[in-house]
Amino acid sequence: MLLHRLLAVSCLLLAACSGSKDPATQAGSNVAQTPVDNTAEVQAYYATHPDFFVSKTPADLPSDLAWTDAGDLPEIGSPARIRGGVWNERIQDFPPTLRTVGPDSNNGFRNYLLDDYVLRFGHLHPDLAGPHRHYPGLAEAWAVDVPSRTVYVRLDPRARWSDGPPVTTDDVWFMFWFYQSSYIQAPWYNNWFGIGENYTRVTRYDERTFAITLKEARPDLLARVLENAPVPRHFYREAGPDFVARYNWRFIPTTGPYVLTPAEQQRTLTNRNFITFERQADWWANDKRQFRYRFNPAQLRLRVIRETPTAWEAFLAGELEAFGMNLAEYHYDRLPDSDSRVTRGLLHKTTFFNDIPRPNYGLWMNTARPLLADREIRLGLQSALNWELVIKQFFRDGYSRLHTPSDGFGEMSHPTLRARPFDLALAAEHFAQAGFRQRGPDGILVNVAGTRLSLTINNGYESLTPVLVILQQEARKAGLDLQIETLDASASWKKVQEKNHDLAFAAFNVGVEPFPRYWECYHSKNAYDQAFLADGVTPHPDRKVKVQTNNLQSIALPALDALITRYDRSESLDEMRGLARQIEEILHEHASFSPGFVRPFYRLATWRWVRFPENFNVRFSTDPFEQNLHWLDEAARPPTLAARRDESKSFPPSVRSYEQWKARE
Amino acid sequence: MPLRLDPLTRKKLRRFRSLQRGYWSFLVLAGLVVLACVAELLICQRALVVRHEGQWFFPTYGGILPGRTFGLDYDWETDYRDLHTRLKSDPAACARGDFVLLPFVPYGPIENCYPDQFFKPRPPDFARRHFLGTDTQNRDILARLVYGFRHALIFSVWFVAGVYGLGVLLGCAMGYYGGVFDLLVQRVIEVWSNIPFLYVVIIVAALLKPGLGWLVAINVAFGWMGLTYYMRTETYKEKARDYAAAARVLGAGDARIILRHILPNTAATLVTFIPFTVAGAIGSLTALDFLGFGLPVPTPSWGELLSQGTKNLTLAPWIVLSAFSAMTLVLILVTFVGEAVREAFDPKKFTLYR
Repeated sequence: MLLHRLLAVSCLLLAACSGSKDPATQAGSNVAQTPVDNTAEVQAYYATHPDFFVSKTPADLPSDLAWTDAGDLPEIGSPARIRGGVWNERIQDFPPTLRTVGPDSNNGFRNYLLDDYVLRFGHLHPDLAGPHRHYPGLAEAWAVDVPSRTVYVRLDPRARWSDGPPVTTDDVWFMFWFYQSSYIQAPWYNNWFGIGENYTRVTRYDERTFAITLKEARPDLLARVLENAPVPRHFYREAGPDFVARYNWRFIPTTGPYVLTPAEQQRTLTNRNFITFERQADWWANDKRQFRYRFNPAQLRLRVIRETPTAWEAFLAGELEAFGMNLAEYHYDRLPDSDSRVTRGLLHKTTFFNDIPRPNYGLWMNTARPLLADREIRLGLQSALNWELVIKQFFRDGYSRLHTPSDGFGEMSHPTLRARPFDLALAAEHFAQAGFRQRGPDGILVNVAGTRLSLTINNGYESLTPVLVILQQEARKAGLDLQIETLDASASWKKVQEKNHDLAFAAFNVGVEPFPRYWECYHSKNAYDQAFLADGVTPHPDRKVKVQTNNLQSIALPALDALITRYDRSESLDEMRGLARQIEEILHEHASFSPGFVRPFYRLATWRWVRFPENFNVRFSTDPFEQNLHWLDEAARPPTLAARRDESKSFPPSVRSYEQWKARE
Repeated sequence: MPLRLDPLTRKKLRRFRSLQRGYWSFLVLAGLVVLACVAELLICQRALVVRHEGQWFFPTYGGILPGRTFGLDYDWETDYRDLHTRLKSDPAACARGDFVLLPFVPYGPIENCYPDQFFKPRPPDFARRHFLGTDTQNRDILARLVYGFRHALIFSVWFVAGVYGLGVLLGCAMGYYGGVFDLLVQRVIEVWSNIPFLYVVIIVAALLKPGLGWLVAINVAFGWMGLTYYMRTETYKEKARDYAAAARVLGAGDARIILRHILPNTAATLVTFIPFTVAGAIGSLTALDFLGFGLPVPTPSWGELLSQGTKNLTLAPWIVLSAFSAMTLVLILVTFVGEAVREAFDPKKFTLYR
């Protein structure tokens, strides 16, 4: 973190030295930069790819399309909501950029500029499971034509950018130019939006109607089209080789409700303790279904508070509206249910069980290492890792055990596979099978060759180090020595990506997706440069581990490859489900991932004036504010703050647990 | 053979002893160091003596004794506290004269003392012999303090050795050879001193598995410069004296003149800096641990305790109190000793230091 800040500072200095203006001074006005117009370049690009950027007339639209606006889906949010008020939230750092792509942009602040606040053509309904559950955002209606792998979309005529112009199909074409451009310095986008990668054609019929054709008609065909957000053509007229510097401090016009005003940008030049987004009073989607009860506060004030304990004090002082209580220490010790602020109803405590793909925390064993190549050792490890004790002691029984690397995908997750429990006798048996029978003077198992049963865990989560200490101390009982190597998060991940690990303590964070991905983590292509000989089965004797991939286990099984290939090509959800279960069973048998823990809920404390809908939140939500369903009852603020120091005053308390989506064992 | 010290040294030692504050601080500090060296006898999860079925065991030092040694059904290290209660409550064992003698504080520094309970700092509990309470991971704070002190001492010893080795060598060479060499090394030192130490540590800690060796190396690499200047001036001064010239006339080589003649005469400077170097070493190790760039977990360390303590100021004030008091006490003692040494080695008996 500090290093990043250092780099940022040195970049600022360099920029200052090179004669260009300090980026900070560009924030409000962009007059200092020479105007550029890339229109000709963009048009030429469209022209050189006539098979990708296709222009047609409305008359060319197939007549038999079944258009839908998903108007029958239940609405999110509560009609009881009140608009207005100032929502105070904490951010850890002042944003290093206002761009949403390119260097430094992939940080927590992007959430406010893009992820949770910008409208896409359509959004996944967060309360319903199963297919056909998108509701329109910028789109008015859409039609899917599976045989031609094409989704047709009609834009909402009301849809506008926050700086005035309407959203048109120009912005859709431009989205592809923008994300395919090398100017943005974002290889992931270049790859995902690349011509022929996922998308093969984008057709314009008129200002409001377009169609996108995909390479394959996967079950998530609709999501891959609708869940894109167009890119404002008029704003990026100056995008060129200096894009990263030029757009560093420009606020991108949004289709969402909150904007950063020029006055506020000017203010942040001198005061970077907070940054405030204003809600547009005349936001185009104010009365649109699925949006009219959301995005309620009139202002979002993001305060820069670096340290969590400081943020906690700010929350108790009433300067922040809410505080995440996921850590046991906060939930049980710092603000127990018996605390007078809770019993007097000033602060409300809520636990909400959500239903989302779980980050798969656990130990990933690198089977390319000599010790871990032996399945018996991996099985021994599975039984020697006391995750149950971790959950009991560190998470105070609140968390539950992860069973497979793809839990939380509903029907797509394996229904019966269970992680192996801590069992010292079984561990000893497996280790003995692998030749480790004798204990050395330090109590660690040794084989006949004199090799100690010692492995290193790579760890990038400083706050979770106690978890590994528990595992380490318990594993000693099994005669297994675990060394913990805690590094800075990015350095640790780099080491894991270089496959320089025995065991990696890590988790892949998954967005709310309809089904898990397997190719990245388990295909042999991501394990070795040449996994097998020509026969496709025999391991290649000189194979080299492939670095910079997510196959952390170096797993290479021909049978698994075949299943993954079928899974990735499958166009039927039922078939995929069957394949996913087979894949999970093979992975379980391979025993190279020791599933750790899952937090099946989120917890938070809020001041009394913060209100949520009746069911509190939506089923597929990773945090309580993601869908912006909350609102502020500003009338309740002054009496609540006044009652802080007056023990005689109290309000109805609220300590609630919403378990409607809790998994039943 | 009695230790033969030259009269000057004996005078200095007498003078040191007469400085009451420094002398007593020295005795207390020496006591603490000895205590830290034999900490296993006082604070340890292993028993001091076990008599089991007529056999004697002394588990404190050496390899582990698995539970089976004492008829328990496991292969990992014996839980001696459990064995203690078992033998006590077993009349047959008592009749045989079996017993377990536990150390005064029967807990280790990385041992989870409440194996079946939540992680939560617990206040001092004299009945359970947690005299300073437990930390956020249910570990005994006194044990962590004492073993943490031991690590700080080991670190200091290596640090002082390294800094003195490099500093004295280069400082003497600069002073003795002078000229271009002196000028060059001075510039190198100036450049080197301007490298921000903390950032280097952060970068190295991010890239390498931090261990005691690495920490010493980095600290020495950035800590040797100060001493060179003192040594340089001292050597310049001594080199010009007649005895050095006499040695040269007699045909002594550079190495002999530096090591046998000049170095002993600069000893006063060297000795007076030692306590302050030690204090600095303890301070910087603690600071690095506090910031999370120090010794690997779960090594006991003061910095780690302080960091826990500051995060739990209101919830568990005993953590920060213990760590802070221990650190202050040791640093004050070292500083008192340092002051006394400086005064004892000062040729002028009456100085302005008071």
